[in-house]
Amino acid sequence: MRPVERDLLRFKEIVRGEVKKRAREFLTREELLGQMEGRVVSIPLPQLEVPKIVYGEPWGEGLLGGGPGAEGLGPGGHIPVAELELEEFLDLMGEALKLPRLRPKGEGEVTEEAFRHTTIARKGPRGLRHVRRTLKESLKRSLFSGEYREEDPRLVPEREDLRYKAPKAKPRPHAQAVVLFALDVSGSMREEELSLVRTLSFWITLWIRRHFPRLERRYLLHDAEAWEVSEEEFFKAREGGGTRLSSALLLAEEILKAYPEAFYNRYLYHFSDGENWHGDTPVALEALGRLLPSLALYGYAQVQGPYGQGRFLEEVEEALGEREELAAVEVRGREDLALALRRLLGG
Amino acid sequence: MRKELQDWALRLRERAEAEELSFPPVLFEEVGPEEMAMLAAYGGFPRRYPHWRFGSEYLRHREVYRYGLGRIYELVVNTAPVHAYLLKGNTLLAQKLVIAHVYAHADFFQNNLAFRPTPKDMLEEMAHHAAFVERAMEKHGARSVEEFLDMALSLENLIDPHTPYIQRPREVEEKPESPRLKVRPYLDPYVNPPPEPPKEAEEGASLKPLPPRPTRDILGFLAQYAPLAPWQRGILEIIREESLYYAPQAATKILNEGWATYWHTRLLLPLLSPEEALEFAELQAGLLAPHGFNPYRLGYLLLKEVEERWDKGRYGPEYEALPLGERLRYERPTGEGRRKLFQVRTVHTDISFLEEFLTPEFALRQRLIAPEDLPRFQGAKRALLFRLTNMGYPIVELVDANYGNRGELYLEHLYEGVELDQRKTKAVLQNLHRLWGRPVHLKTVANGKETLLSAGA
Repeated sequence: MRPVERDLLRFKEIVRGEVKKRAREFLTREELLGQMEGRVVSIPLPQLEVPKIVYGEPWGEGLLGGGPGAEGLGPGGHIPVAELELEEFLDLMGEALKLPRLRPKGEGEVTEEAFRHTTIARKGPRGLRHVRRTLKESLKRSLFSGEYREEDPRLVPEREDLRYKAPKAKPRPHAQAVVLFALDVSGSMREEELSLVRTLSFWITLWIRRHFPRLERRYLLHDAEAWEVSEEEFFKAREGGGTRLSSALLLAEEILKAYPEAFYNRYLYHFSDGENWHGDTPVALEALGRLLPSLALYGYAQVQGPYGQGRFLEEVEEALGEREELAAVEVRGREDLALALRRLLGG
Repeated sequence: MRKELQDWALRLRERAEAEELSFPPVLFEEVGPEEMAMLAAYGGFPRRYPHWRFGSEYLRHREVYRYGLGRIYELVVNTAPVHAYLLKGNTLLAQKLVIAHVYAHADFFQNNLAFRPTPKDMLEEMAHHAAFVERAMEKHGARSVEEFLDMALSLENLIDPHTPYIQRPREVEEKPESPRLKVRPYLDPYVNPPPEPPKEAEEGASLKPLPPRPTRDILGFLAQYAPLAPWQRGILEIIREESLYYAPQAATKILNEGWATYWHTRLLLPLLSPEEALEFAELQAGLLAPHGFNPYRLGYLLLKEVEERWDKGRYGPEYEALPLGERLRYERPTGEGRRKLFQVRTVHTDISFLEEFLTPEFALRQRLIAPEDLPRFQGAKRALLFRLTNMGYPIVELVDANYGNRGELYLEHLYEGVELDQRKTKAVLQNLHRLWGRPVHLKTVANGKETLLSAGA
């Protein structure tokens, strides 16, 4: 190994250590939440810089624009950033927060055709020329035509002899998942609670997608009634009327019909302050009883609102606490996020 | 290297020498982008001591290349013979340009006074440093050595770049009992172990203040006086030596790149075929693009200006006495341009170069400034010079090593109107405190008020 590779490995090791050390902090870092669509995560890590006595004020415009500094002359103005592949970043976060591995159940749908170069063709790009097969053809031809002479066994392949490695489509089953988020908007969720929900659903999505690259997402809101919305709409603050938790569960049941259990790992997450209409709880529990066996997980996060606490968490745990598809948790504030996330993922 | 390039290297060398450039042999090597990234991270050397920041730099150079954000065409290392690396895959013309460019750098290293004291055997030195640190890691554990390196590197800019020139009479040593062997500073504690530490009473009786006068060579001071293990002293010396080695390069960036650009243009232009001329023009335009601060552009234009001014006799008291408008038209042909250029190359660093030749006439002619902005010129120039001072780092002196008669360190930032980054400065003071073992103070100005930052107090 070249010395610089050794230094690079050490650098990456330090970055990894830093990510794990600060996993809880990253959980709520807004600038991270935005950038997860790409393949690479940029993590600001000023700790990973050798500090020096430098000027603090940015160097303003002078003659010639800017001024030396950015160009390797003394201190520059860049923020030290470490870049990690998204997958590696998630694995480190998962390790640090003890997030459980999700197990795909069932084979899933045949969705992807994996191409492998397993056959031979007569046409193809130069780079894929199959030398042994080409020479074999050449030998055959020269034997047939009587050109072959033992004392000079040279083979000159002609156009018709050329053989190429060729791709063959091979269908491959691919586990897939659907995750459905339901949010209670019955007037008691404020921006603060909403931000907890946003953070949780963000990490839940990432973690599920880490295990099921083919992930579909659906979002629904409810107060006394439930309706489906876009992802964007889902996270906007708004006020509604009273609460019927069952409305969300019944709509979820409807929506999930499009994702047959045999092919999909089905996740349902429900965020509420737990204050349900008195008569609705039995209806909700009954719907849940029907749904649970078909779900990979039903995650219920009870977020504490400004007006105290509802009782649905207790009620659902009382009725269905034994079921392993149930993951219910209470979230009172940011400090609960790490634990809540672990619970909601079945850990 | 390819035969074709070898031939060009020879041909260009002959041209350069005919033009009176003088330089040691240059060893060219073509390297791929990965190796170039490695060399760039390692400051031009194939071997450095183990440290993660080289890995981080290496990664950065690799990414920059991979995403097409820039490429390093060439690396020249100030050694004798000079080592020069060319990026594999460049066109023949680009390689020719780079070769001519490299010869001018080699000439600059050999003849500019700022480089006079730099050792020319750094290739071996760097390898020795690497071996020293690796041995220390084996003996004392990789992590503890790394931790010490992290600490020491945060002080790497606390050197006095003029140290190699200063010849102070050493304070008369208390009679040297044993002859001292002259070796590299980082090996000194091994070859010439210090005598028994002075008894406490004697220490108290010593009236010699430490340091005897304010010094900017804080790294050197710590290596000598901080309570450290020999390997730790060795590492401080290594870092200091490497910092001092790189200091002249930072102090002459504009002049050196200008010089190299001037010469590759001059050496190559007459040799170009018509097809090559277009490619050359493109490369040159990229190199001299006026985006932001471009040392190539500034250095090149300013050297051309010097040549023209001295060719046309635009200097001397008679010229200086003219008002601005007439200066631009003044002419008294002397043909002194070439001689002046060589003198500039020999005696100047960026600061003195700009101080002397960056004139309002030049700024006007090159449209660095609009005529109506001329009143701003002096201020802007002063700001630029300030940024070049001490390689862009604040100047910090060690004033007293027995502050408050408690053996504490007292440093002073020579405040010139720009405040320090507080967070980073405090982190450095923490490191200093850990090294020195006693509290450390730094006088500076923060939020407009004179302030004493302290660590460990």
